Formats: sequence, structure tokens, C-alpha cells
Amino acid sequence: MSGAAPLVEIEHFGMDFGKKNVIRDLSFEIRAGETFGLLGSNGSGKTTTIRALLGIYLPTRGTLKINGRAFQPENGIRLGYLPEERGLYKKESVIDVMVYFGKLKGLSRDAAYKWSVNYLEQVDLSDKEKISVDKLSSGEQQKIQLGVTIMNNPDLLILDEPTKGFDPVNRRLLMNLVDAQKKLGSTVLMVTHQMEEVERLCDRIILLRDGVSRAYGTVEEVQDEFGSVLIHLEHQGRIPHSDKYMIIEDGESDSKLEVVGGANSADILRDLIESGMSISKFTPMRKSLDDIFVEIYGREELQKEG
Amino acid sequence: MAQHNLSNVVAFEIMRTVKKKRFWIGMLAMPLMIVVIFALVIFDNSHAKSTQRAQKNAHFTFEYFDQSNLIDTNIVAKLKGHTAASIQDGIASVKSGKVDAFFSYPAHPSKTATTIYGKDKGVFENGKYSSVAIVILQTSVQEKIGSAELSAIERGGIKSTTITYKEGVVAGGINALIPSMLFLVVFYIIIILLGNQMLTSTLDEKENRVTEMILTTINPTNLILGKVVSLFTLGVLQMVIFALPFIVGYSFFKSELHLPNIDFSHLVFDPQQMTLGALMLLGGFALFTGTLVALGAAMPTAKDAGPIFGGLITMIFIPFYAFSLIASSPNALIVRIFSYFPYSAPVTGMLRNGFGTLPLWQGIIVIIELWVLSAIVLRLAVRLFRYGSIEYSRKLSIREIFSA
Repeated sequence: MSGAAPLVEIEHFGMDFGKKNVIRDLSFEIRAGETFGLLGSNGSGKTTTIRALLGIYLPTRGTLKINGRAFQPENGIRLGYLPEERGLYKKESVIDVMVYFGKLKGLSRDAAYKWSVNYLEQVDLSDKEKISVDKLSSGEQQKIQLGVTIMNNPDLLILDEPTKGFDPVNRRLLMNLVDAQKKLGSTVLMVTHQMEEVERLCDRIILLRDGVSRAYGTVEEVQDEFGSVLIHLEHQGRIPHSDKYMIIEDGESDSKLEVVGGANSADILRDLIESGMSISKFTPMRKSLDDIFVEIYGREELQKEG
Repeated sequence: MAQHNLSNVVAFEIMRTVKKKRFWIGMLAMPLMIVVIFALVIFDNSHAKSTQRAQKNAHFTFEYFDQSNLIDTNIVAKLKGHTAASIQDGIASVKSGKVDAFFSYPAHPSKTATTIYGKDKGVFENGKYSSVAIVILQTSVQEKIGSAELSAIERGGIKSTTITYKEGVVAGGINALIPSMLFLVVFYIIIILLGNQMLTSTLDEKENRVTEMILTTINPTNLILGKVVSLFTLGVLQMVIFALPFIVGYSFFKSELHLPNIDFSHLVFDPQQMTLGALMLLGGFALFTGTLVALGAAMPTAKDAGPIFGGLITMIFIPFYAFSLIASSPNALIVRIFSYFPYSAPVTGMLRNGFGTLPLWQGIIVIIELWVLSAIVLRLAVRLFRYGSIEYSRKLSIREIFSA
């Protein structure tokens, strides 16, 4: 994966709305075939970045490229985009809307129709083909929206807050569709603040805060960078004090240490053994992304308030 | 792909419109109303004819008193009328029911009204008394003149034909005015019938929250152009359906509808007037469509766009406040202003073109102005749609529009 060519390249991207500086200086790339997470809290600039990448906003500074050039619809890459603001032509029939989008995405009328009929069967909506979209429940509309997003077998699938407003059934459907698209070779960009999904699906992530990158790399790299490692210890004997760790929980035989100052886990294990302790279990654990997210945003909020 | 998507948008927009019942209700309401009116007119005319025949054959008794000495007693005798001894006697005869009517001819019928007294037979049937009294007077005068032609001339039955020359060639006159004014009629029909649809065509994407998906799928220029082309196509369809009852009525029920016999072979299709008219129509259509589409992209809802929409529609009626000046004094200041102000220029230009008071050079300036401005406004509409239509629930400020 690390050798794959970048499909998306963003260099020194900046975006101002009037006097408000939404994105300061953002650079990252997404490699072909990977699943990339663009993370951040509300207002951190995630959607703005996506809109600028897709040419909906003109960037104030920097360059945003897909496949080596600024994105233009109808020109080049097959794109599937599920925006945060969801919607369809509500007064038109389900099949008309799907076929229209299929045609706009380059499918022939027949191909778009066949694909739509198959998809509606898959998601148990084949009996709703001819009724207008506004007669569907919101969950059913979400299924149609997902179908429209992937019907052209996209090279790049961008999902902005994909599970927002989705019921559990559709959330699972979405995740299955993402998995299926990944297997078909799609590059996936997920914009979210749902850390569980990110840990499960993403190869690499970038974490935004106030329009600035706060972490960038594989999930493990970010965990290493931001989350101090915890060590779960089963032992006999008293744990000696050290400047390489803090004792979080000091039990008779079950304790937790937090590694500090970038110390190496192997060095800590050696020190503990040399101190005469009997170690039956030594498990280094990374903090979850969720913990890191809360820690970063919480810490910065506290700093602001302070 | 771009061309392909333009046709996709045109097809989708047309189909989604013609599939709506509301469209056909609006579309067919007017022609159906016209058909109903025509049917009523035909029915009434045939009923009126039989009534006239009945009235013609219906006899009523009358007396008259003639102070003008113009009434021919032979004519009265043929109609079985009698002279009354005095006006009072005549009135008394009517009141007593001895006769149905009494006509009192004054000494100077051209200056003083002839007074008619009669038994009341209802508002419409009472008219027969007046008709008979006047026919007796007219026929009597005709007898005195001794010539039906002189009588006709005296009654004002004179026809005249005016032939005028423009640059040494016979000018078209009214026959040239009719074809070139058709462009103005088409312009009004399209803007009035489709104005609201133009406004809401981009609001639809916005209100349905579908803008972002559309903008990443299709070039916004193609989308806007597709919408404009589909609107124009629907406008043409609407005009054909509107014109249909008139064409059928004129072709098959001309006499029943009492329509004038127009000799279309006399219509003059002046190439210059027709070209200027067509180009002003297209330029005006593009300008208004572009402006309304831009307005729809900048406003969150149709309700918010309403006041500006009303103002724009008013602009196409404003030139009629200076109609007489436009027709007769093309150099008046107000006419010049209306001729060059973009939103009054199409109507003023087409009116002046029809009246033959729009010189070629001025026509060219108006057309260039309309087409250039249309291109700018359409580009602005695309820009607004691209950058403004994702502001789903708020209006864009002028500053934001130009700084996007």
C-alpha cells in the first residue's frame, strides 16, 4: 500500500470565508486503493476540504488534485460522492432518479436501468421502483442515495459523515458496500468523527483541528504519536518507580503503567525483570482513537479556556 | 460526455415536467377555456341568427308622428304603420295597448334623438322598436336622395387604401407589423407562462438538497444550459397548444365565430424586421431566463425570491406606459431609456421594430447588448449555482456572489 501512487494530493490548501480562516495550511495525500479517514470535530474544516477537492469551493490557497489534476465533473475519474447534505429529486420516481444519475455518470440508459433494478432487489425496494422518492421512508431514501453514489463503480468513493442519520440496518448496509467497493479496487475517503468506523476500516487517517492537521499517518502511527502506550502487567513483587513510566493502577498482581517520555516498552520490561519482579504477562496497549480524539480536543479546549 | 449530459439534462427536465398533472392542467386550462368560449359563441351566434329571423318576421303594430317631414308614407304603409294625431295621442295609444309602439321623429333627427315608446317586451326584444324606427328614417332619406351609393357615402361607408413608400419601395404597413409583432407575443407568452418555472428550476436542486451530488456529476454550465433549453422547448410546446384552438377555430369555424377574413398572402415578412425581431426575442429570453435562474440560485426559497421576481416581471410591462411615445416618437428620452435599459429593451425594441421606428444600427446595438448581457448573466447564474446553491438555507450577499 505504501508504494501506491497518490490518487488525491492536497498541498498547502488554505480556505478563507471573508475574514474567517477556515483552513490554514493543509497538506496530505491519499494513495490509490487505500481507505483514508478525514477526521475532526464539527467545524474543523472536513467538509470544506472535500468541497474544495471536488471544485464546489474555489480554494483560497494551495492546490487540490485528483489523479494529477483539479477535479472536473464529466472529465476523467469515476467519482462516487455521498455528501453530508443528503437529498434526491423528491417528486420523481425512484427509478427515474436512479437512471438519470446513472446516465449523468456515463452509463447508458439500459445499463443504468438494469443496475438500478438489481440494486433495488438487493436492498428490498424492488416494489418501490415507480413511486416518488418523497413517498419513501427516510431509511429507504438513504438506500437509494447509497445506490446512486456507487452505481458507476467509482474509482474514488467519498463519504462525508456516511453514517449520519442512518439507522443500524442502513449503517451495516453502508459498511458492506464500502467493503465491497474496496474489494473492487475503489479508493475510499471517509469524512467522519465516528472513531470505531475509522479503526475498523481506515488504512490511514488525518486528524483536523481548526483547519490544521494535528495527526497524519496510519492508525498505529497516530496512536503511537498521540497516545502514550499503556502496559497491562500481571506480576509478583512490587513495581519500582521509574522515569520511564507512571503507575496508573498499582495492584497486588495486576497493574497498569503509562509509558512516558517516549520510552521503549522493551526497555521497561528489561528494567522490571532486572529489579527482581516476576512477570507473568506484559501487554503493551495503544490508546483507542476515540481516547486520543477526546484527549486532543479536550486538552485544547481546556487550553483555550485556560 | 459533456454534450451527452446536456441532452440528458434536457430530456430529464422536459420529461419530469410533462409527467406532472399540474403542468397539463395549467397547459390545457387556457385552450379548453377558449374551446368552451368558442362553442358558446357558435351556439349564441346561431341562436342570435334564428332570433333575428324571428324578429324580422315578427310583426308589431305602430304609429308615428313626423316633425322632420322626411318620413316616406309609402314605406310606413308597407309596414302597416299609421300616423298619430299628436305625440300625446301616440303615447296614449301605446299606454292603452292599441298599438305596440309609437315613434316620435323630431324636426332635426341628426341633432335630436328620435323617441320611441313601446310595450315592454324585455330588454333584448325592445330593441326591435328602435331598429324599425331607424330603418324607416334611413330608407325614407335614401328615397329622397334617389341614389343608394350616395346614401351609403353619406352614411360614412367609404373605404380607403393607403400606400406608403420607404426608401422608394412600398412599405408593408399593418401587413408588416403583424408578423414582426408575433415575436413580442411569443416573448410575453414564454416569460409569463414559464417565468415561475425559470425561477424554481435551480431552487429545485437546492430545496431537494441535491446540489452537491449534481455539481460533482455534471458541469454546472451544462446543467444550466440544459435547463434553459428545456424551458424554451416547453415554452414552444405551450404556445403550440395555446395556438391550436385558434388555428382550428379560424380554419373550420370562421363564419360561425364571426372572425374577420384575413388574407395571409398580404402579410409582409420584411427580412430585416424578422431577423431583428427573432434575435431580440432570443436575447430577451436568454436574459430573463439567466436572471431568474441566477435569482433562484442565490435565494434559499421561491418565497424569498418573490419580490425580485415580481420586479423583473413588471419590467416587461413598463414600456407599455410609454406605448404612444414608442409608436410615434422614437427619439423621446423615455423611449431611448427603455430601448437601452436591458430589462425593458426586449419589449421596447420589438415594439419599435414592429412599428418600423427602430433603425438597423439601433437594433444591432440592442441585440448586442442583450446577447452580451445574457452571456454574462448566464455565467453569473452558473457561478451562483456552483457556489451559492450549497448555501441551502440562506441568501447570498452581493459581496459573497462576487468574491466566491
